[in-house]
Amino acid sequence: MALTVLFILLFICLFLGVPVAVSLGLSSLAYIMIAGLPDVLLIHRMISGIDSFPLLAIPFFILAGHLMNTGGITTKIFAFARALVGWLPGGLGHVNVGASVVFAGMSGAAVADAGGLGNIEIKAMRDSGYDTDFAVGVTAASSTIGPIIPPSLPLVIYGVMASASIGELFIAGLVPGLLMAVSLMLMVAWYAKKRNYPRDRHIDYGYIWKTLKEAILPLLTPIIIVGGIAGGIFTPTEAAVAAVCYALFLGLVVYRSLTWKHLIRVSIDTIETSASILMIVASAAVFAWILAANQVAGLLGDALLGIADNKYILLLIMMAITLLIGLFMETIAAITILVPVLLPIAISAGIDPVHLGILLILNLMLGLLTPPVGMVLFVLSEVSGVQFERCVKATIPFLIPLLIVLLLITFVPEVALWLPTAFYR
Amino acid sequence: MMTNSPEQDRISAMIDEVEEITDDISDVKIFDIPVLIIFAILFLIVATQFFTRYVLNDSLGWTEEIARYFLILLGFVGGITCVRKGSHIFLEFAYGFLPLKTIKPTILLVEIVVVGFWSYAGWLAIELAQKTNSNMVSIALPKAYLYYVVVVGCFLMALFAVHKLICEARKSADQVAREKRRNTNEGG
Repeated sequence: MALTVLFILLFICLFLGVPVAVSLGLSSLAYIMIAGLPDVLLIHRMISGIDSFPLLAIPFFILAGHLMNTGGITTKIFAFARALVGWLPGGLGHVNVGASVVFAGMSGAAVADAGGLGNIEIKAMRDSGYDTDFAVGVTAASSTIGPIIPPSLPLVIYGVMASASIGELFIAGLVPGLLMAVSLMLMVAWYAKKRNYPRDRHIDYGYIWKTLKEAILPLLTPIIIVGGIAGGIFTPTEAAVAAVCYALFLGLVVYRSLTWKHLIRVSIDTIETSASILMIVASAAVFAWILAANQVAGLLGDALLGIADNKYILLLIMMAITLLIGLFMETIAAITILVPVLLPIAISAGIDPVHLGILLILNLMLGLLTPPVGMVLFVLSEVSGVQFERCVKATIPFLIPLLIVLLLITFVPEVALWLPTAFYR
Repeated sequence: MMTNSPEQDRISAMIDEVEEITDDISDVKIFDIPVLIIFAILFLIVATQFFTRYVLNDSLGWTEEIARYFLILLGFVGGITCVRKGSHIFLEFAYGFLPLKTIKPTILLVEIVVVGFWSYAGWLAIELAQKTNSNMVSIALPKAYLYYVVVVGCFLMALFAVHKLICEARKSADQVAREKRRNTNEGG
């Protein structure tokens, strides 16, 4: 009874557009009252839900990502990516994917990648004679690499909710992220051949060297973050702080492009994003605690196991549920609701939590590329002036390579797991 | 070919135009100062911990605990800024197809729910603070202090939501619906 109220109230609130944090908190509060528990549990669980050292990585990765958007860093990376792969057939398409990979190593959010880099990429491709649809599709699809390659905000949230090692999750995302990039580049190559897209002249080592020299300092950021975590030098939180310090060093000392006003602007933006995420995580902690106390996952798990006793079929069902939720729900909210339900089932079926994490995030990224709430598409439509419906259509073909990678990781867990196994276990 | 081709120059120029973060801080209000200070202190604490661990090889014991408390404050005090600017995360797909007439009542209802929730949460936080008589682990301060800041955060979130409720209520139903639809289409 109390649980039914919890779920119905939650979905009504979410549907009406009540902020996710309040929706989760209010429905949990209703459960607590009906079940006759002391109400003060609500605020106590909310506070202890964000009383977590790993969560500290969130504001600092956001801050580092924002700071990396100053001082012409975007320009330098785009120029370097262009020198490196622009001469391939369909050159700017490859540049697009390559620049997204580099940016993925600096910032942890797909939407931010689409907003900053996407604008430049789409303009450059249109001006060089590419179809707008192709430009939008590649940009949208490649921005989803961001949260798979470390650092990644969704993976931090998943790690905290699932009590999984964030370091392992980060390292596990590396190979799948690169696979996404390769699959998208194959798609670009195929289109380029079919439509005879232009390429930049021949490979020009002098120009590569010149752009590399300009881009080398920002390019070190992903190496510091990923290398530091993989090498066991940094915890993810420390890596985030190191990235902020490095970005400040670049902005204040090397490029001298940061002013006090910039710092305040960036801080306020970071605070807003962080606080809205933290409030969701706080309320989700109450929600997750209620689900765990009632063994909701156990009930659903029994039902699922009744249909399928095979681990892979179970995974496919879970992926289908995630995909469905991802169509309607924002990433962070979806993670906080899905993890307490799916994780216990996965563990009892012998699925590695790190494996599940990568699958879950990749799956939810596809939701960012599909209506009704494809955030990446909204942002791209806004920055490029291309109609939303057209963005949707343009992106559909590029879902295919991403889906293939998703299936590959589903059935071959080693793709995600061999690196963390090699480094940590 | 060490020189840039004209095309490369053109693209660089174009990229410079779309540059990057602005230094426009006109939307930063006096209410944001406390959370800016919290954020700055949080950064300094974590950076100190980082520095002492790597450079002095001896991390300061209190930094981890206090950093976690400041993270809690960042959430609850930063939440005030989010309410003021409407940047709490919510799902907006319903506004795309709800009948125009129902949008204003829905938004008012949502704001009332928000006001109610944060007021009650603030009330509960007072109860929690009063029941807590332990000190923080690493420094001799009552942990209740932390909870009292949460109390203030919750009540101010409720207060700003009241302000928003009044603002929305004063607008015509058409205007509210139009703003909402536009935001939804832009993914705002």
